Amino acid sequence: MVERSQVEELLSRHLSELTEFAGFEALVSGQGSREDYEGFLVNLVRTHLRSPQVLAFLYSLAPPEAAANLAHNMLEELGIEEESGIAHPSLLRELAKGAGLGDRLAELEVAAQESLRQIISEPILYGTLKEVGLATLVEVVAFEFMLSRVASRIARALARHLRLSSSTLEWFTHHSEVDIRHAGQGIDNVLSYVRYYGFSDEDALTICGMALRENVFIKRYFGEKALARTGGAGA
Amino acid sequence: MRLASATVYALEIPLVEPFRHSARARSLCDSVVVRVRDEEGTEGFGEGVPRPYVTGETPDSVLEHLGRLWSCIAGRDLPELDGIDTLRAIESWLPTVPLPGALADHASRSALETAVLDCLLQRHEVSLGRLLPPVRQRVAYSGVITAGSLETALEHARRMKLVGLAQVKVKVGFEDDVARVHAVRETLGPSVSLRLDANGAWTMERAVEVTEATAGCDIASVEQPLPRGPVEELARLRRAVRVPLMADESLVTLEDADALIDAKAVDCFNVRVSKCGGLSRSLRIAARAAAAGIGLQVGSQVGETAILSAAGRHLAAHLPEVAFVEGSYGTLLLTEDVSAEGIHFGHRGEAPVLTGPGLGIRVLEDRLRKYAREVLELGPGGAS
Repeated sequence: MVERSQVEELLSRHLSELTEFAGFEALVSGQGSREDYEGFLVNLVRTHLRSPQVLAFLYSLAPPEAAANLAHNMLEELGIEEESGIAHPSLLRELAKGAGLGDRLAELEVAAQESLRQIISEPILYGTLKEVGLATLVEVVAFEFMLSRVASRIARALARHLRLSSSTLEWFTHHSEVDIRHAGQGIDNVLSYVRYYGFSDEDALTICGMALRENVFIKRYFGEKALARTGGAGA
Repeated sequence: MRLASATVYALEIPLVEPFRHSARARSLCDSVVVRVRDEEGTEGFGEGVPRPYVTGETPDSVLEHLGRLWSCIAGRDLPELDGIDTLRAIESWLPTVPLPGALADHASRSALETAVLDCLLQRHEVSLGRLLPPVRQRVAYSGVITAGSLETALEHARRMKLVGLAQVKVKVGFEDDVARVHAVRETLGPSVSLRLDANGAWTMERAVEVTEATAGCDIASVEQPLPRGPVEELARLRRAVRVPLMADESLVTLEDADALIDAKAVDCFNVRVSKCGGLSRSLRIAARAAAAGIGLQVGSQVGETAILSAAGRHLAAHLPEVAFVEGSYGTLLLTEDVSAEGIHFGHRGEAPVLTGPGLGIRVLEDRLRKYAREVLELGPGGAS
């Protein structure tokens, strides 16, 4: 049976690659240029702007044991669960506007939609939807895991070096360290999914490894070229 | 309509994972892409992948050489669209200019020939499939297991099995070859076709030793067991072993093909568009192989972009008898590809025939610029 520690180890390794990445260190230490910070924010907004759609896909595949949790995540993203009541994409738009990137929002919306269109149009490596779902779930959980551990550091750096207000940075608050419990549930969801759909350990771990074979955090937040500066391979 | 200008892009696209074999390790795509434009601005793209240990070309020598080749065709009228003869016409434009220190200028020729062909086809809004009619609607690609640790090789084998690849090649040429091949076979199971590629790393004795020790692994073929050299050596090895042999580095030119056929040196040719100097020469080598009863693999270059993969896809779909096909890894290997559409294969390694105009892909010029370490503009008279 796939162990929780095996998934955690994979996610932790991925997270370490990010935190040891020079571009990330420059970002949180205030060494980055304004251009670096803006590039990071543009990439971050584009990465997460269509998260509700991705979570809706995962909800549709959720095993009974994980369905409530995935529904909660999706509703939270859509801003119709309790909490702030603000949809997370709206928080991302506020982040972009607050950072002086409001004039790029239309371009980011198009880019985010195009990324989604491309993912859906690309040939699928796997034979069934259950495998596609596991790969997607692992990537989503990886981001939750990472953000729950570094979102506050990033937000503090952005507040300090770009002088962004706490209301502008609210998206980070929703994904920050207080969300560690949430990220832990994400790993539970992966384990439930693997059990429910009857994956062999070998296949499940292989799919997890394939989903994170390159560092998705560095790729999405710092761009594809940044992967060359990390020595190429991720996991 | 005349050819008006060309732009050459020397790319450096990071690979998702480093790729190793006995001759090299690489973590970047170092392709050279050519864009040609006719007087009305219709564009065509081509790609060459210089490999010093195969054709003797380097990215820098290709950049320089392309300037010379371009000056021979700049300002010429695009040929008529006339079936397969169109390909021969374009190929005949490109003079055979010796490239000092190189066996052949094939990466350069591949890039320019393909770009002119794509431009012509785009101009007429016709697919390359019109010139190379497909005999199959889907192409099934093999997986290639890179060298490196045994643990990594087995991880790759598990991935390939999971995505349903029916054919897998494993890079050999190391001390642990025998153990590696046995372990990969065990991981893949008996139904997957397995072949080996030594990239010329073995001696005659080592080749015999490894092939005998892996006789129970049902090896479909061994690619380039010996270094490029006298074809008689390959012929002698072929007589000494029971596994079929395939020529790769030993097969660059048409003369190589003839020599290998005459010597009965191998059972299969690995035809690669860039290595063999473009589609026209690749087709001629394939024709000679077919006439001699030699099997074919349509191979690829590690780290090639969608441009060369698209050319290879058309070739693989067109040739009647193809035993193995490699390539179309796209973003499975590159962190980002240069086309709007994903070129990479899907489940079971399958990918559809490309039907759009030209090569059938839309190349994103801004993507080329993003990854270009050097861009060279060539005007009507050459470099500008």
